[in-house]
Amino acid sequence: MTLIASNLTTKGKEEFFLNDISFEMSPGKIYTIIGRTLSGKTTLLKTIAGLIAQDSGTLSFNGNNFDVIPVWKRQVAMVYQQFINYPHLNVYDNIAFPLKQRKVDLAEIKDRVKQAIEQVGLEGFEERKIQALSGGQQQRVALARSLVKNANILLLDEPLVNLDYKLREQLREEFKKIFSSKASEEAILIYSTTDPIEAMQLGGEVIVMDEGKILQQGSAKEIYENPRSTKVAEITNDPAMNLFDGEINGKKITLNNEVILNIPKHFKDLPDGKYSFGIRASGVTLDKSGFPFQIELAEISGSETFLHLNNDQIHVVGLLDAVKNFDIGETVKVSFDIEKLYAFGSDGILMSSPYSGIK
Amino acid sequence: MAQIKLQNIAHSYNPNSVDSKYALKPFDMTWVDGGRYAILGPSGCGKSTMLNIMSGIVKPSEGRLLFDGVDVTDETTSDRNIAQVFQFPVIYGTMTVHDNLAFPLVCRGYDKSFIESKVNEVAEALSLEGLLSQSARKLTADQKQLISLGRGLVRDNVAAILMDEPLTVIDPDLKFRLRRKLKEINQKYQSTLIYVTHDQNEAMTFAENIIVMDDGEIVQVGSPAELFDRPRTTFVGYFIGAPAMNLFECDVIDSNSIKFGGAKITTETDLKSVNGENIKLGIRAEYVQLMKSTAKNTVQAKVESVDDWGNHKLISANFEGNIIKVKVKREVEVPAENVYLKFPTNNCCIYENEILVP
Amino acid sequence: MGTFYTTLKYTAVTIWSMFVIAPFLWALSTSFKDFNSVTSGATYIPWVDFEPTLEGWRVLLRSPAQGGVNIVEPYLNSIFVTCLASFISILLGTLAAYALSRYTFKAGFIKNDDITFFFISQRIMPPVVLAIPFFIMLGKLGLLDTLLGLVMVYVVLLMPIAVWIMVDFFNKVPVEIDETALIDGCNPIQAFFKVVLPNSIPGMVVAGLFCMIFGWTDFFFAFILTFTEVQLLPVAIVSLNSSITPWWSLSAAALVSVAPLIVVAFIVERYLSKGNLSGALK
Repeated sequence: MTLIASNLTTKGKEEFFLNDISFEMSPGKIYTIIGRTLSGKTTLLKTIAGLIAQDSGTLSFNGNNFDVIPVWKRQVAMVYQQFINYPHLNVYDNIAFPLKQRKVDLAEIKDRVKQAIEQVGLEGFEERKIQALSGGQQQRVALARSLVKNANILLLDEPLVNLDYKLREQLREEFKKIFSSKASEEAILIYSTTDPIEAMQLGGEVIVMDEGKILQQGSAKEIYENPRSTKVAEITNDPAMNLFDGEINGKKITLNNEVILNIPKHFKDLPDGKYSFGIRASGVTLDKSGFPFQIELAEISGSETFLHLNNDQIHVVGLLDAVKNFDIGETVKVSFDIEKLYAFGSDGILMSSPYSGIK
Repeated sequence: MAQIKLQNIAHSYNPNSVDSKYALKPFDMTWVDGGRYAILGPSGCGKSTMLNIMSGIVKPSEGRLLFDGVDVTDETTSDRNIAQVFQFPVIYGTMTVHDNLAFPLVCRGYDKSFIESKVNEVAEALSLEGLLSQSARKLTADQKQLISLGRGLVRDNVAAILMDEPLTVIDPDLKFRLRRKLKEINQKYQSTLIYVTHDQNEAMTFAENIIVMDDGEIVQVGSPAELFDRPRTTFVGYFIGAPAMNLFECDVIDSNSIKFGGAKITTETDLKSVNGENIKLGIRAEYVQLMKSTAKNTVQAKVESVDDWGNHKLISANFEGNIIKVKVKREVEVPAENVYLKFPTNNCCIYENEILVP
Repeated sequence: MGTFYTTLKYTAVTIWSMFVIAPFLWALSTSFKDFNSVTSGATYIPWVDFEPTLEGWRVLLRSPAQGGVNIVEPYLNSIFVTCLASFISILLGTLAAYALSRYTFKAGFIKNDDITFFFISQRIMPPVVLAIPFFIMLGKLGLLDTLLGLVMVYVVLLMPIAVWIMVDFFNKVPVEIDETALIDGCNPIQAFFKVVLPNSIPGMVVAGLFCMIFGWTDFFFAFILTFTEVQLLPVAIVSLNSSITPWWSLSAAALVSVAPLIVVAFIVERYLSKGNLSGALK
């Protein structure tokens, strides 16, 4: 029951929606596709569902050519980011629809719908009209309808993006519980998002997409520790990883002709020359003996403060392990933790990371 | 620039019906001139209603509204001198950027040279000066939103700028730029800014004072630090912070300690007058400390899962059936089986009937 | 304060209602009059101002040989033609509108919006332009003065209305609903009938209402394309006229012809007032 894509390509007027995509997805696993808007995530999901046909390349499922099978026979389920339910049916009928369509026996429909409703926490809502439900409740109905079919492939296209911040957190937790039970049922779960934190929290295998291409595929841990390129580092970090042009010269690293740092152990064998250096906000913090920067903006997040810092040459985001408000333009001293530096070549490809040394 | 006072304001959308419900429960509120406020709450809590009452789009079914002591409850929106920015950019598609910004002044009959200087000033503040002659329709979403904002700023003496989730349509990359602009504008023009959102990060970044609302009621007003460290109700503890505050049922033992499962936890709260049934201990996941061995205010719990959150790890540990969430930095080593978790006395909050004991 | 404005509101509404109902009441009272009551000064209330008589009504049921105009047959013809033509128009129009909403057509530079406009533009043409072509076409087909011929012509005239209203309506139903239906196991035809159509009923009701109004009240084509065998109601009413204008039977005829529309309007008002049609009404 493996889903295999080979060289899927779909082209728009000028840009590629899918550019030579190949992957293999095994049953019982969650795959999180992360990428910016317009990176091709929705196109990919719709191609797997069969709503769009790729220009070239093949899709096969369980050894059979998927491309010749029309949408309605593919045994997939999809949840959209806009809350999509059948407006003329109540909650129960919405969830029962795919089973009725497949002519499942009425008693079995009742059981399965009841189970799905329990899984999403909508007991008591069976008779309600869709329009009377809140956004979160509507999305739960859509999810229940996708679960009830026991589809082979479950596609979720940024399902939480239109919900309140707190509701998103809550539903994400619930999703994880539902998914872990689904995964054991041998379905393939594909979840797309733009939010790196969401990708991390869902666990599972992460696929990074940009401009129709797959940039990296691996565990969430792997992608965090060793992003393959500067593009991956940008997409999979929130706030984005700080990137600087610089060079290694003898015993020192120079960032943007300004900041001069010592060379960390994991850069030891890198030759002198030009590089792109990356460091996360967590590696940049306030230090009395650091470099002078001006505060552009201080963003409080829970018990930490993100500092957007600026001097003439460099713009960097740092992290303060406390809650403090600053005035715009205030001068502070900033230090860079060299043990957390990444080195990317001039082509943007990872050359050395703090977690696995030189590639 | 004005001090805005809401006196005994309440609002119900169908006040005369039998089962009328308050969309906004009665309250008093004073907005200091030049302050930066955020109204934070889940969907449907009444925050947009409050904003619309201040701008005049909705007339409150009860109470009076005063600007600098003058009762404006019955005045129309245009007379109140308020600028409002909505969730979606509101621009006049047929006009250029320049005309869009000039519109409020043209409508009020200001002199042409004054209009020009104001438009240029605001355009520069919002980095729109290069786009002044372009048709407004052709711009990107965030540029359009800047114009919406700019229209509120050209007027010298707005009492306040009200913003209703203005960054919703903006790409995450560019949200930061707009947030920064708003803060700069507040510093430069000293106008009162009131920002409605459901995103706590936006509220915490932007505001000096946050008004947390739930179900039509104001639940707490305070600085970001106050809301984080000492949430006034369990709802605020849940709503602010990721993850939500840990809350556990407990019993009072003496004047400053409680019994949590089999452990005695000492707090800084004076518990002498607490005698209710519903007592909860609250502590933020960020403040629970990992210890090497048992100590005062420490419980031993079994690690159930460790979630990788990128820059942090979230530990879920089970202590006598209670799941304690602990947020630690990525580098921290987490034992595989048992952990010792300390609840620092100054970080413990005690709640009686869901309300914080001071 | 409140009661003053309420009284003002109700007074205004009452005045306006009387304004609207007055013509009907006048027609009603006139239909019970006879020659004298009509010609010798204005008379209003039956039994008080004049002796009511059912003559005006009886004329409508008498055959022409007896000096009347039997409107029963034209009445039934009108009902048949209007209903059948409206039904076919909605059927074809809805299907066409769905295709225009969901699929992309392109022939040279002609695209979906152009095709939709092509349909709508049929209504912009003055009917006179079509009179002679239709006359000739029906003549060649031997369908002049037949119900079938009239139905065909009316379908051509009414379908654009259906297309116009329904395209707009379908565009408001998100295409993701169709997609979800496909994913749930429906083929495209089932998706249309099971999911899209049930959600478009308000639109179809409005389209139906407009079609019926236009079909029922059309005089021009009914007049030109029929002679003796088939007569529609508007033409029959006009033929009541003679050297002495029979106000009483004309009033009766007018009331009788408006009655069905009022009944339909009451039935449909349920859908209209629900606000479901805010987009469908242009």
